[in-house]
Amino acid sequence: MVPLSYYLVLSAILFACGVTGFLIKRNIITIFMSIELMLNGVNLSFVAFAAHWQQLSGQVFVFS
Amino acid sequence: MHLILFSVFGLVCVAGAVNLLLQRHPINSALSLVVVMGALAVEYLLLGAEFVAAVQVIVYAGAIMVLFVFVIMLLNAGEEEQTHGSRVAWLLGLPGMLAVTVLICWALIQDRTGQVAIGQLPGHPADLAQLLFHQFLLPFEVTSILVLIAIMGAVVLAARPESVQETKREQ
Repeated sequence: MVPLSYYLVLSAILFACGVTGFLIKRNIITIFMSIELMLNGVNLSFVAFAAHWQQLSGQVFVFS
Repeated sequence: MHLILFSVFGLVCVAGAVNLLLQRHPINSALSLVVVMGALAVEYLLLGAEFVAAVQVIVYAGAIMVLFVFVIMLLNAGEEEQTHGSRVAWLLGLPGMLAVTVLICWALIQDRTGQVAIGQLPGHPADLAQLLFHQFLLPFEVTSILVLIAIMGAVVLAARPESVQETKREQ
């Protein structure tokens, strides 16, 4: 059983990596990849909250 | 068991993300992004979100990464040139980024409400579809309009040079 905060910490680390890549990278494709990384970090926190509150609406947000 | 799996794949995830930042060639960054996506799919499975995990592998690790690799190969993107940047950015930006990250992580770990154990989630595709096509039908359709606008924008951007040439010929 993993506490919710661990998932949120992982998501924050991923988001921070994405922001750093967005700021330091020169290549436009790599910048786009960093944006994908940020998106995935947010998605992880959505799913973690969905599991925490036992509500599926969090997972629906992942698709849009 | 959950904690061990979470730690292992979380470390893989973070290592892939850091590798994405360190690699200079875009194709290496793209491959490390595949590692991040795969590890995230395992994290979704740990959270009980099986459908989201499947979609993550199919859409992100499959479709979007193929798109990235195609674009890299078509544009023949080489290594990015290295500049040292301004010294202020190194002196203030890096410690600032680290401080903010540590602050957020510390606040999240301190939060007592996060101590509830994560059990099994009813992440069944049928329930998800029920929610998506009944309660969230309007946002779903609005999202499809957004995708349509993106497609139209891509077509307009791709067709622009030809139309400019045609107008020049007519003149």
